[in-house]
Amino acid sequence: MDFELTDEQKARRKEFFDVCRELEKKKPPSLVGIEAVFADDDCWEFHLHCAKEFAKRGWLTLAWPSQYGGTGTMMDRVLFAEARGYHGIPGVDIFGVQMLAPTLLQAASEEIKKEFLPPIARAEVSWCELWSEPNAGSDLAILSTTAIKKGDEYIINGQKTWNSGAHRADWGFGVFKTDPNARKHHNLSFLLLDMKTPGITVRPIPYMDRGTPFCEVYFDDVHVPAKNIVGQENEGWAVVNTLAGFERSSLTEIMSLVRALEELVKFCNETKRNGQPLAKDPVIRNRVAQLACELEAARALAYRVADLQNRNEMALMDASAVKIFSSELGERFAFTVTDILGPYGQVSSSRWSPMQGEWEKMYQECFVTTISMGTNEIQRNIIAWYGLGLPRMK
Amino acid sequence: MDLRFTEAQEILRKMARDFLATECPKTLVRELEQSDKGYSPELWKKMSELGWMGLIIPEEYDGMGYSFQDLTVLMEEIGRNILPGPLVPTIISTFPILEAGTEDQKKEFLPKIAQGKLILTTALLEADGTFNASGIATKATPKGDDFVINGTKLFVEMAHVADYLICVTRTKDGSPAEKGITLFIADNKSPGIRCEVIPTMAADKECEVRFESVAVPKKNMLGKLDGGWPIVETLLRKGSIVKCAESVGALQTCVEMTVAYSKERVQYDRPIGAFQALQHIMADMWTAMETSRYLVYEVAWMESEGLPCAKEASMAKAYVNEVYKNVSKWAVRLHGGIATSYDHDIPLYYRRSKAADSAFGGTDFHRELVAQKIGLA
Repeated sequence: MDFELTDEQKARRKEFFDVCRELEKKKPPSLVGIEAVFADDDCWEFHLHCAKEFAKRGWLTLAWPSQYGGTGTMMDRVLFAEARGYHGIPGVDIFGVQMLAPTLLQAASEEIKKEFLPPIARAEVSWCELWSEPNAGSDLAILSTTAIKKGDEYIINGQKTWNSGAHRADWGFGVFKTDPNARKHHNLSFLLLDMKTPGITVRPIPYMDRGTPFCEVYFDDVHVPAKNIVGQENEGWAVVNTLAGFERSSLTEIMSLVRALEELVKFCNETKRNGQPLAKDPVIRNRVAQLACELEAARALAYRVADLQNRNEMALMDASAVKIFSSELGERFAFTVTDILGPYGQVSSSRWSPMQGEWEKMYQECFVTTISMGTNEIQRNIIAWYGLGLPRMK
Repeated sequence: MDLRFTEAQEILRKMARDFLATECPKTLVRELEQSDKGYSPELWKKMSELGWMGLIIPEEYDGMGYSFQDLTVLMEEIGRNILPGPLVPTIISTFPILEAGTEDQKKEFLPKIAQGKLILTTALLEADGTFNASGIATKATPKGDDFVINGTKLFVEMAHVADYLICVTRTKDGSPAEKGITLFIADNKSPGIRCEVIPTMAADKECEVRFESVAVPKKNMLGKLDGGWPIVETLLRKGSIVKCAESVGALQTCVEMTVAYSKERVQYDRPIGAFQALQHIMADMWTAMETSRYLVYEVAWMESEGLPCAKEASMAKAYVNEVYKNVSKWAVRLHGGIATSYDHDIPLYYRRSKAADSAFGGTDFHRELVAQKIGLA
């Protein structure tokens, strides 16, 4: 057993960190949390700037097959995710680069790949995901938005919701009911569509912190070319499952917590309460140390997942476990740090807020990772049913 | 990066698993708990034939010359099965000899340990129960060719059957407390040593050892006079990692047994494992085990490679302490009443979770070390 990186990997890691460190110098102060890129114009501009920088270096196509412009390895993708997480750098389209591209590579026709992969690689197109509906969340397959085929088009009617960044996206991928009479899981199709198509209305949903990372998307007789299908008609559920395997890397979040811990230690050393630094308070020492221990555990398990994926082995249980553990560790960070900050823990970014108001934001945004990408409760089902072999709920 | 066991490690793991399953069934574990000795000399002999006492002792001293990481593979299997007796204390007591022993001391002790001819244990803790140097009050005073030791050591595992004790003593008063510590290899048959088994939850024969004017030859001093604390720190670090590996194995059994039972036990016309209230707890038990496992593997690798890992070892100990206690607690809860009985296997693990927690420093002790090492002023 060997946790060591090769010399080549170490050099790559340094390259990723160097570039991200430089980018961080231009990062807008409002960029806190992973959904902020969608909520704020400055953050979005910064995201696009970073994306161009990464595209230029071929870092949006890490581990793609070389015939589609791929560079690097799976391990490079892991190391790149670490660098971005640590420096809090966006620039990788969660939906286009991280989810859709690997799905297309695995499940799409050659024609679709040739049309859609190059603009993703060049960071020319931003994508959004059109999955959840008001009445279809975890049980996504009961969704009701229809795409009925008519000639060489699908006509879409209905509503999607919780679409991160749909108000900024150029294109969307989604799953729609193409055969209202067929049985569950064999009645859906996976379609790609231009978000400027007439009949689409995007309405931002105010989040609890009044930002607008999420939207609702309404479809009113939206015409989509039939050739924009991925996989077979009515067999889109298989594509959904393929895509679900390409979640955002937990290492990005874990490394953002590594950085947060460093900042927290600094803050505790520099901030006095009752005439002494917070760092001298044994209760605070104990609580911060506990976070540090859990963070190291999360990181070790994330490497386990990376190691499995790097060898093209199934990482089902471990991927779910690290998603649960790291996202809930994010919650524990938010709770613990806002406790340590005392009354300042509730202050939004302003002259009264410690650490740029980051933790007032994280206290509200920690749900983004626990609820999205398969809720943590669904992840626990996955471990129980597919990992431990416990009887499945009907 | 390759987080798989090597082929040799897989062989060691399988051999250990099969051997322990056959030779150390839970009936024997309970029998040994209730016996005076607390170990089976017959089993000890068989393990010595497998070379376990000398696993990490270099070949030049008749050992097998395996790495520290290999040792943790064996420890995981020992924790998985449970193995009462002096194997783990003996192995842990070889760390200071390997690290600080003179050539003469190594030649005298290591081959005998490797051959299973000696049982060792380490006498560290004292009355106030701290793992800090300030807790060491047992005095060693030079007299002729000897040092004379006076004091009382506590929680010394298997001291009642040990041949030698690695005894941590104070040879200089004053501050800082770390500066006046010296280690000795004390013959347990020396006049003036008295030993009594302390009743503990795991019945793992932790002893009180009283030293009354015990003469130990100067040649049995381990390391430098007053310079013993760094050796203790290494022992605590390595001991913590070894205990963590043992705990990871125990966690595996707790999870496996609970999942298996929940598939068999029928209530309300279905296996209780079909209820999500229980499924999610088992998923959490598995996640806690798996995070512990890779944290411990990472630290074991660092230690084995000679990389500085005091911070990570304390992180692992603080984390795994809590996980083992909680997961074994949930194993009892999910089994229900049946697992509260003495004759059930799960409580063997639950009771040992507290012993594992206490050994080489509890959670708060290690969290404080972590606090220091992450830079809290």
